[in-house]
Amino acid sequence: MPFEVVLQGILSPLFIASILRISTPIILPALGGLISDLAGVINIALEGIMLVAAFTGVVVSAYTQNVWIGVLAGIVIGMLYSLILALFHLYLATDIILAGIALNIMAQGGTIFLLFILTGDKGNSSTLASGAVPTITYPFLSSGSWLGQVFNGHNIFTYLAFLFTWLVSVFLYKTPLGAHLRAVGENPVAAETVGINVKRTQTIAIALSGFFASLGGLSLSMAYLTLFQNAMTAGRGFIALAAVFLGGRTPWGTTLAAIIFGFADGLANQLGSLAIPPQWVQMIPYVATVIALVAYSIRRQAKQRERLRRFQEGEVKGAEAGSD
Amino acid sequence: MKKVLGSSAFRELLRVMIAIIVALTLGFIITVLVSDDPIGAYKAFLFGPLSKINRFGDWIEESITLIFLGLAVALVFKAELFSLGQEGQMVLGALVAGAIALYVPVPVYIRVPLAILGAMLIGFLWGLIPGYLKAYLNANEIVSTLMLNFVALKIYEWLLTYNIKPEDAGYTASETFSAEGTMPTFFPPIPFLGELRTLFMNQTNISIALYLVIIATFVVYYLMYRTPFGYELRMVGANIKFARYGGVNTKRTIVLAMAVSGIFAGLAGAHLASGIHRKLILNITFGLGFEGIVVSILARNNPLLIPFTGLAYGYLRAGANVMERSSDMSREMVLVIQAIIILLVTAERIMPIIQERIRVRRAQQSGVPPAEADAPRIEGGD
Repeated sequence: MPFEVVLQGILSPLFIASILRISTPIILPALGGLISDLAGVINIALEGIMLVAAFTGVVVSAYTQNVWIGVLAGIVIGMLYSLILALFHLYLATDIILAGIALNIMAQGGTIFLLFILTGDKGNSSTLASGAVPTITYPFLSSGSWLGQVFNGHNIFTYLAFLFTWLVSVFLYKTPLGAHLRAVGENPVAAETVGINVKRTQTIAIALSGFFASLGGLSLSMAYLTLFQNAMTAGRGFIALAAVFLGGRTPWGTTLAAIIFGFADGLANQLGSLAIPPQWVQMIPYVATVIALVAYSIRRQAKQRERLRRFQEGEVKGAEAGSD
Repeated sequence: MKKVLGSSAFRELLRVMIAIIVALTLGFIITVLVSDDPIGAYKAFLFGPLSKINRFGDWIEESITLIFLGLAVALVFKAELFSLGQEGQMVLGALVAGAIALYVPVPVYIRVPLAILGAMLIGFLWGLIPGYLKAYLNANEIVSTLMLNFVALKIYEWLLTYNIKPEDAGYTASETFSAEGTMPTFFPPIPFLGELRTLFMNQTNISIALYLVIIATFVVYYLMYRTPFGYELRMVGANIKFARYGGVNTKRTIVLAMAVSGIFAGLAGAHLASGIHRKLILNITFGLGFEGIVVSILARNNPLLIPFTGLAYGYLRAGANVMERSSDMSREMVLVIQAIIILLVTAERIMPIIQERIRVRRAQQSGVPPAEADAPRIEGGD
């Protein structure tokens, strides 16, 4: 009997709408993670960039009383923060994982530190009158109808998430810079040989990942909630990274994977009425990511073997196979 | 040979020292800008852990956890494996140690060793998974270990909430362990020091984990530098292709490195559960996730240096707590300092660039055209 309740809950339009809301702050940073990963610069700092942008957006919008200046400031500061990663990794030869961890630690500490200075509170920014981005309601969809409940009332970041999924796939597969970016990630030495500026391309990739992570952070603090909370990203930056792999490193796959994470999160909340522990459901996407990671690796190995076989058949000259 | 080793070690030390001094200076500048009583706040930060015996205890307890984690990280990083899975191994170690402490009705001298061994075993097993995935399926260990961390945390949360927490408890935590399930104090019962022993027992939770961590340090050193496994581990880290051609079973080495590393993260969990908290609480590993990495990096993955970097790092954290309690500064400042230290210590090219600047300036002063001095740019740029 209670199972039917859950089933009804899942199929309800309000649940579908909530999945879209929950998924938005995962889709956006996941797109950033995808771009940097394809360029061969895995960005562990997504989490930290999100926090910095979320914080900046709230504070600036509160002090200027203008939502858009807040959003803009969040994006700019978030991207500058991501450029620290580029500076240290590409120009000062810091390991990218360690630099990313450092930036996460700094963001975690720095945001709380500044929050305490500004509000005297370490928990959240509720004393600051920060703004919220507008939501979109279609006048022709009545709030009682199924369509109305699914589509009405979403904030603009949700729309941006899907718009950018499409734009990122155009960028990656239809523009020269996108092709360069993927080439750099595939084989930096070869890319360098044909005249691609590897460092510049990777810097752009990291900046873009900072852009998307910033949007993700802003969607948390200026739409999903309308305040900043201590460590409010709650691991979403890492989940976003996982979505990249679960989605087979493609834009639409990544977005779909992010929605699966959102779905599991929403479902876990719905299960409160059942005897099933929510942690079981919450665990599923992480296990699925590990499985997807394995599937991806096996496929890549098979491809490499196939390429090597063809190479050996076609050419007499032996040569070093590309680095693994 | 010895001279080269000495000088490069000296350069390393110099670099770490410079990083710490720069970071602490920046921290002081921040304090001056923010605090009404910057001197008092910074004093509390720098000397707080030594000011009272309970604060001293906090420092040592924290450092023990950090050293275990640092040792775990050193084992994988030495093999160039970027395992970030210490948090998952640690939380499961705490879970197993806690469960044994709560439910296995045997006397303390069996129960505590059993809890410790259980935590080591689960850490080992949990490390086998990403190790196997990496070695045999070439799955990216960064992502797999991050995911397994989440899985481990959820398992912990689930069992704690649904099975271990007493029905009538107001918040999510287990019962406090009985003395039978708690690690005894590190202080041996010496007759004429009885008073001091009571003082340490009442004011601190420093337990026999102190001895475990010292033993663990030497075990890791021995493993790494005096056993075939350690040799293979370092070979894999130095050059995996070369190691393979040289006859090293690289797959087995990778799996073992990840699993053995888990043993020490598991020990950290046992220390958290039955040494420090003496019960299982939600978010028991909070804020410790990646700290082992920092400790190991500062020690350049050298196990014999890890106790020192662990103590130094634990001192910063303990000092920050004192500062928060006794001034208007929040302890999160120390996270910023930590991040700056990591960045400065790991930036391979900062020292060469500084040296280059100095060389150019000297060349200019002595009248040599800068173009010539400029010629030997940083070697090995990719």
